[in-house]
Formats: sequence, structure tokens, C-alpha cells
Amino acid sequence: MRALGPVIAVLVALVLVASSVLFTVDQRQNAIVFQFGEVKEVITKPGLNFKWPMIQNVRLFDMRILAYDDAEPLRFLTQGNRPVLVDSFIRWRIVDVKLYFVSVQGSEAEATRRLRQTISGALRDEFGGRTVHDVVSGERDTVMERVRQKADQDLRRVGVEIVDVRLKRVDLPQEVSESVYRRMEAERKRIANELRSTGAAESERIRADADRQREVILAEAYRDAQRVKGDGDARAAATYAQAFSRDAEFYAFYRSMEAYRSTFSGRSDLLLLEPNSDFFRYLKDPGGKAGGKK
Amino acid sequence: MSLNDPNWGRGSRGPGGNQGPPDLDELWRNFNRKLNDLFGGRRGGGGDVRPPAPSGRALGGGAGVLVALVLAIWLASGFYVVDAASRGVVLTFGRYSEQTDPGLRWRMPFPIQSHEIVNMAQVRTLEVGYRNNVKTKVLKESLMLTDDENIVDLQFAVQYVVTDAQAWLFHNRRPEEVAMQTAEASMREIIGKSKMDSILYEGQDNIANQAQVLMQKILDSYKTGIDLSRVTIQNAQPPEQVQAAFDDAVKAGQDRERQKNEGQAYANDVIPRARGAAARLTQEAEGYKARVVANAEGEASRFRQVLAEYSKAPAITRERIYIETLQSVLSSTSKILVDTRASGNLLYLPLDKLMQQSGAGGLTESQASQRAPDAALPTDPGPRSRDSLRGRERVER
Repeated sequence: MRALGPVIAVLVALVLVASSVLFTVDQRQNAIVFQFGEVKEVITKPGLNFKWPMIQNVRLFDMRILAYDDAEPLRFLTQGNRPVLVDSFIRWRIVDVKLYFVSVQGSEAEATRRLRQTISGALRDEFGGRTVHDVVSGERDTVMERVRQKADQDLRRVGVEIVDVRLKRVDLPQEVSESVYRRMEAERKRIANELRSTGAAESERIRADADRQREVILAEAYRDAQRVKGDGDARAAATYAQAFSRDAEFYAFYRSMEAYRSTFSGRSDLLLLEPNSDFFRYLKDPGGKAGGKK
Repeated sequence: MSLNDPNWGRGSRGPGGNQGPPDLDELWRNFNRKLNDLFGGRRGGGGDVRPPAPSGRALGGGAGVLVALVLAIWLASGFYVVDAASRGVVLTFGRYSEQTDPGLRWRMPFPIQSHEIVNMAQVRTLEVGYRNNVKTKVLKESLMLTDDENIVDLQFAVQYVVTDAQAWLFHNRRPEEVAMQTAEASMREIIGKSKMDSILYEGQDNIANQAQVLMQKILDSYKTGIDLSRVTIQNAQPPEQVQAAFDDAVKAGQDRERQKNEGQAYANDVIPRARGAAARLTQEAEGYKARVVANAEGEASRFRQVLAEYSKAPAITRERIYIETLQSVLSSTSKILVDTRASGNLLYLPLDKLMQQSGAGGLTESQASQRAPDAALPTDPGPRSRDSLRGRERVER
């Protein structure tokens, strides 16, 4: 039992020593071992590593893809001096830890400062030769890829790889936005007027078509009706002619009688007569001579 | 020294049963003495004035228990729980060694192994252009420029799950932010290639799909381990400044439909009516024809019948018809019998007055037809001379 005391002491001592001699490099990190401030070794594999205590120290670097996002959008001029506000974000990572440390003293702030300068310069170049429409839609990919290549080329020298450059916002500045709004309004007004007037035209067309159809329908019906009537009249005439031609003279007499009867039918018809007609021949003369003489 | 601290803490809490409540000073001194034993007095600490404690043996036993306990606690610190929705990732000296399933798990304790837990089942949501509620807009995120250089106000949500825990942990710093920025950039890229009208009205699903494809592509290129499940456009509308104009345009579209419908309504009113009128004309014509033909046939037939009788006795029949006709004519009309030859041109006939009278009198037709023969009779037998009639007017009612 007494032997345990030393065991503890040994353990504690081991832990103390181990903590100053051993260090772990995470999956996500690379490490540089410095000896009196000089880069002695670069560790790129994760795991347990050894260093000399006191004379060596270790610095760890995050090797994941890092993001740089502009806090404030940058203002660029496009072709025709139209300004745009651009907000981009950059994905970058350290590929060469030693170079990175030597060039920017391993300071992420310093690295992003360089990054920002390079990117904004490249963006300015790309935007200057393009119209707003190009950078917003047509050549967005090209712009992003070219800026990435340029920046990548530049930043390789500090051990940084530019994984991706993305244009996030490409917006018009406030004063330009207002004029865009005015234009959008005018455009909508045009559309609205067009819709209304085509609606009216369409309506008129439908009405006119309906009117035409009505006329046609009525006219055709009238034509057909007249045909039918004419047919009836013709048949009637044929019937009359056939019957009446048997004795035309009698027909004239008979028909006249008929006509008299139907013509003078009411009290309102006033006949002014001379008593010398055939009908009145017996009126003045029972012999019937008066009318007969005439 | 720092490593000693847990020992102190635990020592004071734990196995005090052997020796009563431990005194910190005393323990410290004991410890130093033991170190001295070990290193041959090299580290003779200050305050180590007491001789070896008489309780050394007891202390040795206590230390054994202490060591065992510390060891046990240290080992126990390797336990961790992975809940059902998650996976654990174990790192050995910082190097990935395994992925563990849900349950109570054990790894080698710090500093040998460490673990991270990633929730793989939770559907994570990104809200772009708004927070919590579509009405609380973030205009900086939501206003976007379209292909036709209009500005649209768009809110969308992205849902994703983490499908690759290692990628999620190891390739990107703050992957949630990466996802957010990627979502925004992709949507803006797609909107930048779309026309205002298709964004606002019909093309929203299509845009969401395109954005999802692009987002997934970018996220894959970063090896984020993210799998997008859905991109939904929550709301797309013109900016407030021009909302009224857009609403009016939509209204205009409806006006147009309304006008068309009104025109159609008119057509639907007019054409069937015209058809009806046409049908009436046709029917009337048919009716007319039938009537005319029937009349003709009837009259022809009557004429033939009369003619048949007439031809048997023409003179008398003719006379009879003539007289009958004139009788019926004269009996039903008003008449004035004037001997014009005698009266010359001095005859005064107030015709309009006569007409009035006859019109007024005509209202009792039955009476008229009754009286007509009576009225006619006195004239017939009246053996009056022509002179008596001269200048007189007779009005037969």
C-alpha cells in the first residue's frame, strides 16, 4: 500500500511532462513547430506529436474552408458609369501553412485584408467593362470565375487558395433604385393600359361579331321566309288560275261581288250613291226601266 | 501543479471515511513529503516541517483509493450519449477514428480521444429575407435585381439536413453560415437570370428548383455534407414603392377579362334572340304559306262549285248574286242617295260631320243591323218624286 504514494507522484510527473512535450494536431488543423522562433517543422497530418519543451513551441492553423464576407457592399462603376453596390463572399483556405505564416504572420485579419484588396481590385476590373445586365445575369458566372482565378493566382503567393468567389448582392444604389422604381411603375402602367384597351377591343369585337351574327341570322331567316311565302303565293296563284280560268268573265263578276262585300263592311263606310244604278232600277220605276236605260 | 487540483478537490470530498475530515494543509504537506520520498529530497518544499506523519500507512491506503477513484472518474468521463437523431464522431489525438451510432457510448477519455455530436435527422431551416415571420422582412436580403433590371422583394426558406457528419465537421468553419450565404447567393443568381413576371406570377416553383440545384452544387463543392431537402419561395412581390402600380396591372388583367365576359354576355343575349326571331320568321312564313295555299284551294273550290251551278243558269244566278251582294253591302254601310244630275253643283254635304255621326252611331252594331233594313225600307217604297229629294240629304244610320 505504501508503494502507491510514489505511483501517484510518478503519474503526476508524467502528466506534467507529457503536457509540455506532446501536442495533438486536430483533423481540422495543421501545425508549425517553431524552435526559437524559427520554423522547424510543418505538421499536416492529424495526431499526437512531439516537441521539445521550452525551446520549441507550436502554432496551430485552421485548415478548413474559411469565409470572408464584406460587411459593407462595395461600390463599382459599370459600363456607362452606372454604379452598382456589390456584396460578395469569398471562400478560401490555407494550403501552405509555412508560406502563409511567413507572408501574413499567420494573422487571419492580415490575410483577409489582402484578400479584400485583391478581390475588390479584380471585381472593379471586371465590372468596369460590363453593363449592369451582364453582371446581374448574363455574365455573372464568368465574372465570378475570373475574379476567383485572379485572386487565386495572387493569393497562392501567401499560401492561400481561393475556393470560390460568389457575388451575393448586386444592387443598385438608392438613388438609382428610385429611378428603377419609376420605370417599373411606368412599365406596369403601360401593361395595365394595354390590358384594358385590348380588353375593350376584345369586348367590342365580340359584340360586333354578335351583331353581325344577328343580322345574318335575321336576314337569312327573312330570305327563307320570303321563299316559303313566295312558294305559297305561287301555289295559291296556280290554284286560282287553274280554277278561275274555266270562266274568266264569271270570275271577274264573282270576285268583284266578293270584293264589294268585304270592302264596304262597316258603318264608317259612307256611300254616296246615285239612284240610277242597276240595283236601284226598281227604286223609281217598278218596271225596272230606269236602271236599264241608264 | 494544476493537475493536482482535481486530486485535492476529490480527495476532500471522497474517501474521507478513513481519516476523518481532511485538512487541506495537512494533505498538502503529506503530498510534498511523498514527493520528497520519491525524488530524494530534491524538492523540499517550504512548510515541510513536520516529521513523517504517524498516519502514513493510513494515508497510503487512502491514496490508493484516491488514485483508483480518480482513475475511475477519468475513465468515466469517456462516456457520452448519442441521441437517436444524431451520430457521434470520435477523434483520437485529433484524428478521425470512428463514427458512432445512437446510444450510450464510451471513448478513451481526454486527452486521448474526443467526440463531437452531429444531429443528422433534424431538418434545419434557413430563412432568407425575413426572420420568423414573412412579415418581418429584412430588405437588405430580400430586394433582388432581376434579369430585366426590375427589383423584386422575395422571401424564401431553405430546409436541409446534414447527411455527412465528417464533412459537416471537418471541411468548413461555421457551416451554417456557409449554407446561409450560399442560399442567398444562389437565389440571387437565379433571380438575376429570370424575368420579373415569371418570378411574380407563374415561375416560382421553377425558380425554387433551379436555386436548389445551384445551391446543392455549390455546397457539394465546399464539401459541407449538407443535403437540401426543399427550397420554398415564401413570398415574391414587387417592392412597396411600386406595389400599387403592380396591383393596378393585375386589376387591369381582370378588367380585361371582365370586359371580354361582358362582350360575351352581350353576344349570348343577342344571338339566341336573333335565332328566336329567325325561327319566328320561318314559322310565320310557313304559316302564311299554309294559309295562302289553303285559302286558294278553298276559294278555288268554292268558285268551281258556284261555277258548276252558274253554268246551269247563268243569267239568273248572276242577277241573284249581284243583288244579294249589293244588299249586304248597302245594308251594312252608311249611305247617302243623291240625284247628282238634278242637284247640280249646289249640293252641300258636310262629310266630316256625317262621318262623325256615322262613327258615333256605329257603336251599337246589333241595333244598326236591325234597323238597317227598316231604315232602308221606307226609302224603297217611297213614291217620292225626284224633286222631293232635291236638296235633301238623308243619312241612313
